Amino acid sequence: MSRKENALDLAKFIDKGVRVKLSGGREVEGTLKGYDQLLNLVLDETVEYLRDKEDTLRITNDARPLGLVVCRGTAVMMVSPTAGTEELAQNPFLQEDGA
Amino acid sequence: MLPLLLLKTAQKHPVLVELKNGETYNGHMVQCDSWMNVHLREVICTSKDGDRFWRIPETYIRGNTIKYLRVPDEVIDKVKEEDYKRDEKRPAMARGRGRGRGPGGRGDGQSGGRGGAPGRGGRGRG
Repeated sequence: MSRKENALDLAKFIDKGVRVKLSGGREVEGTLKGYDQLLNLVLDETVEYLRDKEDTLRITNDARPLGLVVCRGTAVMMVSPTAGTEELAQNPFLQEDGA
Repeated sequence: MLPLLLLKTAQKHPVLVELKNGETYNGHMVQCDSWMNVHLREVICTSKDGDRFWRIPETYIRGNTIKYLRVPDEVIDKVKEEDYKRDEKRPAMARGRGRGRGPGGRGDGQSGGRGGAPGRGGRGRG
C-alpha cells in the first residue's frame, strides 16, 4: 500500500452538487468548484441544512444560504453527490431479512 | 494481520462503517487508502438513532472520522492467502511466527461472537 495512494477522486464531482458533512454536525450542500489533496473544498451556492433545536443530531429541511464557501479539509467528514441521494421511508434492512 | 491490510482486502466487498458520530454506512467498498479514507458505492446511511435512512449512490468518508468497520468473514481468508503469497516470496522470515490460527478459516461458527454465524444482525450486511 503506497503512501501516495488516495481513495479520493473528486474530479468527477466538479460542477456537480455535493453534500458535505462536517465534523461537529453541520451539513452543507453546494456545487463543487474545486478541491485539493487535503480535502479542502470550494463550494458555490452553498446552503446549510439546519439542525433541530431540541435534537441536534436531526437534520431538518430548513436551509440557510451561505453562498461561496471554502470548507476546511480537516473538518470534512463525508462527501457524496446530491444526485441520486434520497431519504428512505422505511428501514431497508428489515425487508432484506424478510421480517 | 494488519488492520489496513484487511481493509484493503475488503475492497469490492460489502462493509459497514460506523462513524464517531454514530452514523453508519453500509455499502460496497470501492477503495481505501492508508489514511483509512474509504470510498463506498450503493450506500445506505443510517442515522445515529437508527430510525432514518438514506440511499446514497456513492460516498467518500474521511478515515479519521471512523469509529469502526465491519467486514465480511470471508475476507479474512483472503488476507491469509495473500499473506502466504508474500511469505513465499520472502521465505524463512516471518513464517510460523505468532500464534495464528491454522488454515481453514476462522472459528467453527458455534463459538459465538456477536450474533453467531448465519444471518447475523439485521443491520450488518449492506
